[in-house]
Amino acid sequence: MSAIVSGAEPLPPAGETAGAPQGERLTHVDTLDAVNTLVSGPLLDRRRWRRWWIAMIVASLLTILFFGSMIYLFYEGIGIFGNNSIVVWGYPIANYVWWIGIGNAGTLISSMLLLTHQHWRAAINRLAEAMTLMAVAIAGLMPIMHMGRPLYFYWLAPYPNTMALWPQWRSALIWDFWAILSYLLFSIVFWYTGLIPDLATLRDRAITPGKRIFYGALALGWRNSARHWHIYQTYYRTMAALATPLVCSVHSIVGLDFAASLMPGWQETIFPPYFVVGAMYSGFGIVVVLCAAARWGLDLESLITIRHFELMAKVMLMAGTVMFLSYATEWFSAWYSGRGVDRRFLTFEFTGAYAPLYWIMIFCNCIVVQAFWFRTVRRSLTAIVIISILINIGMWLERILIVWNTLSHHYIASMWRLFYPTLWDWLILFGSLGFFAFLYLLFARFFPVVSIHEVRELVHREAIR
Amino acid sequence: MSSVLLAAFEDEERLVDAIGKLREERVRIVDAFTPYPVEGLGAALGANPFPVRAAMLIGGLGTAGLCWFIEWFSAAIAFPFDSGSRPHNSWPVFPLFPFEFGVLMAGVFGLAALLWSTGLPGLNHPFFDARLSARASQDKFLLAVAMPETTDMAFRLRDRLAGLGADTVEEAEL
Amino acid sequence: MNDTAASHAAPASRIEISRRTALKLFTGGIAASLAGCSPPAEKNMPYVDMPEGLVPGEPQYYATALPLGGYGRGVIVKAVDGRPIKVSGNPRHPASLGSTDVFAEAALVELYDPERSRDIRGTQPINGWTDFLGELQQWSGKAKRGEAPLHLVTSTVASPTLLGQIAALKQQYPGMRWFAYDPLGDDESARSLIPRLDRASVIVSLGADPLGSGPMQIMASRAFINGRMPESPGGMSRLYAIESTWTLTGANADHRLALPPDKIDALAMEIVGRLEGHPGSPLSLEKGARHFVDQMIADLQGAGAGGLLLPGPMLREETVQAVLQSGKRRGAPLDRAAALPAQLRPEAFAAFEEALHSRKVQNLLLLDCNPAFDAAPDAKFANALKGVPFAVHAGLYDNETADLCRWQLPLSHPLEAWSDLTSADGTVAIVQPLIRPLYDTRSQHEILGFYAGQTAPSGYDAVRQTWNREPQDKGFEDWWRDALVKGVVSGRSPQFTLSAGNAEISPPASSQSPSDASAADGSFVALIQPDPTIYDGRFTNNAWLQECPKPLSKGTWTNAVSLAPEDAAALGASDGDVLAVSSSEGKIEGPLRIDKGQARGVVGLTLGYGRTDAGAIGNGLGYNPRLLSPGFQNVVPGVHVKKTDRRAPIPSTQMHFSLEGDLRKLLPEVAPGGSLPESGPKPSLFGPPQPRDPYSWAMVIDAAACTGCNACVVACQVENNVAVVGPDEVANGRAMHWLRIDSYNIGTAEEPRHGFEPVPCMQCEKAPCEPVCPVEASVHDTEGLNVQVYNRCVGTRFCQSNCPYKVRRFNWFAYNSGQEYKDLGEDPMPARNNPDVTVRARGVMEKCTYCVQRISGARRDAEKADRPIADGELKTACQEACPTRAITFGNLQDKGSKVNARRADPRHFTLLEELGTRPRTTYLARVRNANPKLAGGSA
Repeated sequence: MSAIVSGAEPLPPAGETAGAPQGERLTHVDTLDAVNTLVSGPLLDRRRWRRWWIAMIVASLLTILFFGSMIYLFYEGIGIFGNNSIVVWGYPIANYVWWIGIGNAGTLISSMLLLTHQHWRAAINRLAEAMTLMAVAIAGLMPIMHMGRPLYFYWLAPYPNTMALWPQWRSALIWDFWAILSYLLFSIVFWYTGLIPDLATLRDRAITPGKRIFYGALALGWRNSARHWHIYQTYYRTMAALATPLVCSVHSIVGLDFAASLMPGWQETIFPPYFVVGAMYSGFGIVVVLCAAARWGLDLESLITIRHFELMAKVMLMAGTVMFLSYATEWFSAWYSGRGVDRRFLTFEFTGAYAPLYWIMIFCNCIVVQAFWFRTVRRSLTAIVIISILINIGMWLERILIVWNTLSHHYIASMWRLFYPTLWDWLILFGSLGFFAFLYLLFARFFPVVSIHEVRELVHREAIR
Repeated sequence: MSSVLLAAFEDEERLVDAIGKLREERVRIVDAFTPYPVEGLGAALGANPFPVRAAMLIGGLGTAGLCWFIEWFSAAIAFPFDSGSRPHNSWPVFPLFPFEFGVLMAGVFGLAALLWSTGLPGLNHPFFDARLSARASQDKFLLAVAMPETTDMAFRLRDRLAGLGADTVEEAEL
Repeated sequence: MNDTAASHAAPASRIEISRRTALKLFTGGIAASLAGCSPPAEKNMPYVDMPEGLVPGEPQYYATALPLGGYGRGVIVKAVDGRPIKVSGNPRHPASLGSTDVFAEAALVELYDPERSRDIRGTQPINGWTDFLGELQQWSGKAKRGEAPLHLVTSTVASPTLLGQIAALKQQYPGMRWFAYDPLGDDESARSLIPRLDRASVIVSLGADPLGSGPMQIMASRAFINGRMPESPGGMSRLYAIESTWTLTGANADHRLALPPDKIDALAMEIVGRLEGHPGSPLSLEKGARHFVDQMIADLQGAGAGGLLLPGPMLREETVQAVLQSGKRRGAPLDRAAALPAQLRPEAFAAFEEALHSRKVQNLLLLDCNPAFDAAPDAKFANALKGVPFAVHAGLYDNETADLCRWQLPLSHPLEAWSDLTSADGTVAIVQPLIRPLYDTRSQHEILGFYAGQTAPSGYDAVRQTWNREPQDKGFEDWWRDALVKGVVSGRSPQFTLSAGNAEISPPASSQSPSDASAADGSFVALIQPDPTIYDGRFTNNAWLQECPKPLSKGTWTNAVSLAPEDAAALGASDGDVLAVSSSEGKIEGPLRIDKGQARGVVGLTLGYGRTDAGAIGNGLGYNPRLLSPGFQNVVPGVHVKKTDRRAPIPSTQMHFSLEGDLRKLLPEVAPGGSLPESGPKPSLFGPPQPRDPYSWAMVIDAAACTGCNACVVACQVENNVAVVGPDEVANGRAMHWLRIDSYNIGTAEEPRHGFEPVPCMQCEKAPCEPVCPVEASVHDTEGLNVQVYNRCVGTRFCQSNCPYKVRRFNWFAYNSGQEYKDLGEDPMPARNNPDVTVRARGVMEKCTYCVQRISGARRDAEKADRPIADGELKTACQEACPTRAITFGNLQDKGSKVNARRADPRHFTLLEELGTRPRTTYLARVRNANPKLAGGSA
C-alpha cells in the first residue's frame, strides 16, 4: 500500500492545470488532461452532489418497496400475483424479458461498436456496460420471483445430490438459466477489465488516502506499461469478439422460452432474431435516457455530444423498422398458415380484450420511431428522450402481451380466461426500476461513467485530424 | 530490479520517434508507459499476448466439451428417463448450455492469463516511487531506458532525451 | 376428557371465540378425532369381496346407505384405519348400480366438518344429556297426561325403523301429531315418479327433470343412457324436453322447447287430449313452436306403448293425474316411487304452521329438518317457534331452526349411526356405521328412543328389532350378516315400510294453479327448482359441493337469477348484475345469469342458498327463494324484477361457452349410427412407440353418454385430495379440479342446446408438458402415464403454459397445507384425506394421473396373486362414479380390453389430434337422435 501512497503523489502542475474552477463548464475538450479532469473531477474533488442525493432518496424508497414486496411474496406465496391456472405466466416473465433485453444492449453497443471501430462509442460504452450489469442482475431476480418454490431455484444446476437427479436439458428454462448466469458473469468481467486503466488514473489523481487506497486496490497496480497495454488490448478485443455472439445467443434463448412450445403466437421461428433486435431497441432507448441523465448530472455535455444521440437515434430507427417488419411477418404467417387457431389468435390480438394495449404497443414500437427520419428530431434531446421512453413502454407491453395473448386465447375454448394484475404485480415492476436507478446512482458516484483512457485516445485522434 | 532513466514526453508521436532514434543508437529500451494504448508499441517492445489467446481457446473449448459431456452423461447414462418420448441423447438441444458456459469460461481463463502474463495484481512496485509514474496514467508518455554504467554517459543520455523532446527526465528503479 | 373438553367448547362456539376457547375447541377437536377414529363397538360386516379383519393401512370396504331427500342410495365406503375416506356406489343396490352422485361423494366433508354440532346445547352455558333427559321426563309426563301433546316434525322419512318408532310413539302419546315435508315442495305426485327411460322409445318431459339431482338421478340417468346406446334394443330413444328453465334433462334432450309453466300445463292437457283422441282447442303457440309440438305428438303417437309422457312438478295436480292416467292406459313405462303406507301418513307442514300459530304447540321435536330456513323463513314462524316452551331440534348442525329452539341435540352422521333406508324404488338397505361417533352425538333412532322412555337407547337394537320381530328366529343372524355384507335387504319386510309401485297418492290440499300466472302485466313467473349441487340447503356448508361447478353455467359458491336474453335486454342488465326479485310475500337479490333458451317471462331460481346459520362455509352465500313464497309453492306468479346498480359476478370455472368456426371440432356430433372420418396412425420421426411394460393405460370417454351430472368431478376431488380454494380464488381462475366437464352451447339460435365434455389429463404419449420442465418433475412412466413428481416441482409452470388442453392445476397458495379456505384446515377435516395420495405443497403443479395410486394398488394385488391385472378390475375414481358408464379405462396392450373396443368405435375421436400429442385419453362423439321432420333436425 505504501507504494501506492508514495507513488501516487501527483505533480503540482498537472494538479493545477487540471483543477478547473468549480461551476465553470468546459465546452469542449482538446487535451488529455482536460478529459481526466472532466471525468474524474466529480469523483475526486469536493463537489456538491445535491442532484445525486435527491435522485438517490427516490431510488432508495422504490428499492425498499421492491425488496419489501419480494419478502412478502416469499412469505405469502405467488398467489399474490394476478396469475390464474390458465394464464400461469405474468409480470415477472415480462419484466424478465424486458430487463434482459435492456441488459443485452449494453454489451451490443460496447462490443459491436468496438469491433466495427465506431470510435464515438468511447463516450457511451462504460454507461452501457454498467447498465448491462444492473439490468441483467435484476432480470436474474425475476424468474426466481416467478417460481412457485423459489428456494429450490438451484435445482436447475447440475450438481451431485442425494436424489441423484440432473437438470432436464431439453427445457428452454435450463438454457435460460445458463444464459443469464454466463452473461451476467461475463459482463462483469468485461466491464471490470475495461475499468482497470481508469481506476489507475483515479488512483493517481486521488487526493485523499482513502480514495487512493480504494481505487489503488481496484486498479490492481496497473502501470500503463506499453507491454501490458498490448496484452490487455488483445484480451479486451477478444472478449468483445466473444461478447457479440454471446449476447445474440442469450436473447435468442429468451426467444426460445416461447418459441420452443406449441402454443399459437409462440411457436414461431422468427422469435429468436426479433427478440435480439427488440433487445437492442429497448436497450438503446435506456442508454439514451442514461446518457441524458449523466450528461445533465455530471456536466458531460462536451463528451456526450448531440452527435452521439443522433447516431443512437439512427440505430433505433433501424431497429424500430425491423420490429415493424417482424410484427408484419408474424401477422402474415398467422394468416397464411390457415390454421383456425392462429387466425383466431390474430383476430384476438387486434380486436380482443387486450387490443387497446396492442395498438399502443404498435404505436410506441413502430410508429413513433419513424420521427427519427427527420434530422431536427434526431438533434432534439428532449424529443429523443421522450421517444426512447415511449419505446421502452412499448417494448414492455410487447413482452406482457406475448404472455397474455397466447395464454388467454389458445386451443380449448372452455379455458379462455383473462389476466387481471394485482397491486403486487405493479410494485415489483416499479420497484425493480427503482432498484436499477439505485444501483446506477451508486455506480455513477464511485466510478467514471465514461471510459477515460479511451476518450483520451479519441481526443488525441481528433487532435491530429 | 534495474535502475532506469524515465523520460516524459508530451505526446505519442514524440515517444515513438524517440524510441526509433534511440534504438538506432543502441540504447536499451526497458519499457514505455502511455496514458492509452499506442498501436504497435507493445509489440515493438516484445510483449507476447500468446498465453492469453491460448488460455481463452483452451478454457473455452475445454469447458464447452465438459458441459456437453455432462449433458450426455446425465441424460443418457446416469439418469435416462422418458420426457415426452424424446430420445435420451437429444443432441440437437445440447449445444446451448456448452456454448453459453464456454464463452464465460473463455473470458475467465483469459483474465487469469492476462493477470499472470502481466504480473498483476502487483500493488507494490518500485515504479510507483518515481514521481513521474503518476503522470503515465494521465497525460504523459514515459520512456524507460537502461541507466548507463558511468555517470557522464548518463548525463549524455539525459541531454539526448531532452533533445528528443522529453520535458522531464527522472532516475527510477524498475 | 374428550367429553369435558368438547362440551366446554360447544357453547363457546356459539359466542365470540376467545383465545382460551379456541384452544379448547382445538384440543377438543383433536381429542374427539383421536378417540373417534376407531371402528364401532357393534359387529359390522365388511364388504364380501374385500379382505376381512383390519390390517393396518389396508383399506376396508363396508356396504351401507346414504340419504338424499330422505330416500336411500346404497353405497360402499372405503375406510383406512377406521377413517372413512371414499364413498362409491354399491353395484347390488338398484338405486346406485355401483355409481354415485355428487351428494354421496361429498358426504365425507359433512362427517368431518369442524362445524358439526358436537354437543347438546340448552339454556345453560354447559349442558349434558342428563339435563335434557330430566326436562324430557317432565314433558313426556305432561304429554302422556294429554296436557302437552307431542308434535313431531320431520322431512321425508324412508327408514322402516324410524317409521316403526314413530308408530310406537303414537301409541304411547295420545294426541301426538306427526308432520313431514319435503323442502323441494309438496308436489309429491310428480316428484315421486320413476320413469323407466330404458323401455321408452320417445320421451316427452313436461318440465320434469329425471336426470337432475335427486334420489332417482342415478337410476334414471343409467336407464336413459341404456336406452340411448346405439346397440340398445328398439334403437335409440328420442327425448323431447319442454321446460321453462334449463335442466340437465333439457340439456340432454334431442329437441327442446322453452315455454312458461302455465303454457306447459296447458300444452300437457292438449297433448293428453290428442293422445286420448278427443282434442280440445289447440293452445295458441307461435309458428315454430306449433310445428315442434305437432311433430312431437306425431312421434309420440307413433311410439305407442314406448311413448312416455313425463309430467313435471310445476304442473297442476289435476294435469299430473290426467297425464298419468293416459300414460297408464297406453301402458307407458312409468312407475311411482316408494310411498308411505296409507295408515301412517304424516300431516302436511301447513297444518303444523296452523297449530304453531294458534299456540297449540308446547312439546315439539324437530327431527333432522330445518323449517326455519327451508319451509318458513319468516319472522312470524320464528317468533312462534321461540314461544314454544319445550322445542327440541335434533340435527347435524346447530342451524337456523336450532337457534329458535330451547334444545339442540347433536345428531350422528349416517356414517356414524345404525339405521335402515328405503330407496326411491323401494329397495331397503341397512345403514351401518363405519366409525364410532366423533362427538357425543345420538342417532335419530336413539333420540326417539329417549322419547319412548328408554334410558340408554341403542340404534343398533332398534334396527335389529325392526327386522327381527319374532324373538326366537334361528335364521336371523345369517340373514342380518348377509344383509350387511350385500348392502341390500331381501326376504324380509318390516312392519312399516314404503311400498314401491303404484300406491295411490291423495292430492295435497293446496293445489297451486300456475294457469293464472300470466306475464301480461309485465311481471314475471318465478320458477323455483333444487340447486344442482346444493340441492335443498342440506349441503350448503359442504365446501366440495359449493365449489363443484353448476353443470350448465359453471358458476360456483352462489345461486343465480336466470333470465331469457330478451328479458335481460329489456332490463338493460348483463351477466353478474344484481337483480332484485320481489313478490307480494318478500324480496330477494341475486346475480343475473342470462340463459339462452330459457322461456321468456320466467325467472329461474334455485333452492339451498341464503342461509344465515349454516356455518363458516355456507353463511351469506346466495339468496333463499322461499322468501318469495313461504310454503312450498315452486311457481310464483306476479313477480317483479328490478336491476340494482350493484354487480356481483358469479365465480365461474368457465368463461367461454360458444364454439364458433372450426372450434366445433372440439365436440363433434353425429346422427345415430353415424361415424367420424377415420384417422389412421400418425408417422413419427422416432418410429412407433415401443411399450416397455405389459400395461399401457388408456381412457375413452363417451361424450354421448355424459349427462353432465358432475359425479366424476367430485369423485376425483375426494380420491385425490384435491383442494377447495373458495369463491374468490375460483373467481381468480384458480379452481383446482383435476377433472373438469366442459359445457358448450351447441345447436342453433332457434334451438340452443348444450354439450358436455369431461376433460381429464390426456396423458399424451408425446406430452408437450414434459420436455419443457427444467427439473424433470413432469415425466412419463413406462405404462404411458404422464406423471407429476410433486416434491421435485419448483413451480416454473412452463408445463401448464405449454399444455394445449390446460388440464394442469397450480397451488398458488397452500390450499391444502396451511392456507386453507375458511375452516377447512381445522381438525378433524384433514382426516378426510386419502392416505395414498400426497397432499400437495404450495408452489407445486398438480394434475390427473389416472388415479395412479389405484393402479399401483391393483398391480400389488395382481403381483401377489401372480396374474396380470384383469380388464375392468381396475377403475379410476371418475369411471367408478359415473352413473352412465361414460368412462372406460383399461390396458391398450390387452387386445380384448373394452377400451380397445371403444377406440375402434366409428364415433372415436381425439381432442386436438392435429397437434400430434397422441393422447391416451380419447373420446366418442356425441349422438343426437334428431327428428328428421323438425327444423334443425340435421345433426
